[in-house]
Amino acid sequence: MPILRLVAGRILLSIVTLLIVSLIIFGVLEVLPGDVATRILGRDATPEALELLRAKLGLNDPAPLRYLHWLGGLLSGDFGQSLVSSRPVTDILAPRIYNTVLLSAYAFLLYLPLTIVPALIQAIRRDRPVDHGLSIVTLVLLSMPDFLLATMLLFTFVVLVPVLPAISLVDHSSDAMDYLRAMTLPALTLAIVMAVYAVRMLRDNLIEVLDSDYVRMAELKGLSARRVLLRHALPNALVPTLNVTALNLAYLVGGVVVVEKVFSYPGFGSLLVDSLQLRDLPVIEATVMIAALVYVGANLIADVAAVLLNPRLRTA
Amino acid sequence: MSMDHAAAPTRQSALSRYRLLWGQTPQSFRIGLVILLVHLIVAATGPLWAPYGYSQMGTGIPLSGASWEHPFGVDQLGRDVFSRVVHGSHIVILLSLSGTALGLVVGAVLGLLSGYLGGWFDNLLQRLLEALISIPFLVLALIAIASAGPELSGNPILVVLVVALVYAPRIARMARAAAMDIATRDYVTVARLRGESAWSVMRRELLPNATGVLLVEFALRAGYAPVLVGSLGFLGFGLRPPTPEWGLMISENRALIIITPITVLGPGLALASLVVGLNLFTEGLARILGRTVRLGAQ
Repeated sequence: MPILRLVAGRILLSIVTLLIVSLIIFGVLEVLPGDVATRILGRDATPEALELLRAKLGLNDPAPLRYLHWLGGLLSGDFGQSLVSSRPVTDILAPRIYNTVLLSAYAFLLYLPLTIVPALIQAIRRDRPVDHGLSIVTLVLLSMPDFLLATMLLFTFVVLVPVLPAISLVDHSSDAMDYLRAMTLPALTLAIVMAVYAVRMLRDNLIEVLDSDYVRMAELKGLSARRVLLRHALPNALVPTLNVTALNLAYLVGGVVVVEKVFSYPGFGSLLVDSLQLRDLPVIEATVMIAALVYVGANLIADVAAVLLNPRLRTA
Repeated sequence: MSMDHAAAPTRQSALSRYRLLWGQTPQSFRIGLVILLVHLIVAATGPLWAPYGYSQMGTGIPLSGASWEHPFGVDQLGRDVFSRVVHGSHIVILLSLSGTALGLVVGAVLGLLSGYLGGWFDNLLQRLLEALISIPFLVLALIAIASAGPELSGNPILVVLVVALVYAPRIARMARAAAMDIATRDYVTVARLRGESAWSVMRRELLPNATGVLLVEFALRAGYAPVLVGSLGFLGFGLRPPTPEWGLMISENRALIIITPITVLGPGLALASLVVGLNLFTEGLARILGRTVRLGAQ
């Protein structure tokens, strides 16, 4: 089975990549800055406090030993303790990851219609004013930083048409409706950012497919325009968009950092920003590793899907 | 080419030739170039004609909204937001362009050498670059800034280095693919047989033939650099107040968006229009050079 071997090779490469990522993260955060204890406590810290923190972090061991210890912890699911709250990092991470997974799922749900509907309209009304108009809209949205888009949506749905809350705070006591209200604006921001890339691609694919022989054939058979578009053209045009969708998943990992911060949504991305501000090293390291894991995983899925969908790539 | 030189064009014919060339460029290129020129002129001359200083307080009633005197309103410290946007223009553009340029130089050299040499150097470098690309770029930028420490935070040079760090691996990947293609050509084989060093082959054979790829790549990355710089400023990891960087201004004025939305929309418009201009320019440039480009530097 050459295909299995190909997939296995890709998985192996991904593991190597993640190992190098862990080396980079550890090196950048714990070796390069010199004395980590001074970095965390500041220049005014007493020698006793510094010594205590060094002992707590195991900073007196040589760097390679510390790296192996840290990596061993990661692999066995032990991310260490937060320096700020002394709670286990896994306890801090778990609810944040849960919130971000919910948010991402909601964003993907909004993403599908936001991609397919405009692309269909553009393809049907090709080179008409509607098509050009939507092209300009997607170009502007593409050029708009996500924090600006988030702020504009906030302004629209909180100030102009006050239907949604400005701050998306949720916790374990929130019910489903609270969650839905809190997540709508951040999810909509993420969905729009992801959709603009996919719309531009899907429009071009649809137009290419609509010009192809089998669509002509379907038209000549006398099928309705609607049936030709939805049953014959759309499924074929969607295939290349799948790759973009997997890459959009990879975007989400970075995108949530800004968007969650704008709406104060207690997810994984705002945890990263907060822990960076507090210099909570174990939490930073854990979040960055997880971000890289999701990113590598999404790219792996995109690659494997591309190979499965296009047999010509299998020999490469 | 030799014909053009032999003709020794007069001023008139040179002008009309440029006009002809201009007429053949894609519309997106022309619109993008015009938007870019406006931004560049504002960046270069802005500090001369901006109505107020960028940290000058008491220019008007704080939070008084848009007026003829204060088109983008007045922030809570009484500073004129329009003047701040104008003063910030050259900061945003300089940081973005120099960061992207540094990333291009490092990325192009590494990528071209890696693609030409192959072997263990290529393998090792590819794994390293792959790992750097696997960290979402904003996350990579943030941990690089965290690693640089508090003494350097808010330093413009740090922001330039971070933009370069984020872009170099991505540019190197493109340059490597180009080099692997060019390396199969006969003139490269000839140069190698002449006994030229890898460095000289890269400089004289690979680089000139990869110019098109690298130019489009530069424009594409430069288009996203203002967003990266702005995002860092917005999250509080970029430049420090009172620097009139646009992302930072949006973040500062955001809390009072209910009272004076224009203080957020003003810098937002400046940032978005710069990126739209760069994106249109890139798309047009790619079409002129006969390449396809997918906008959005994800």
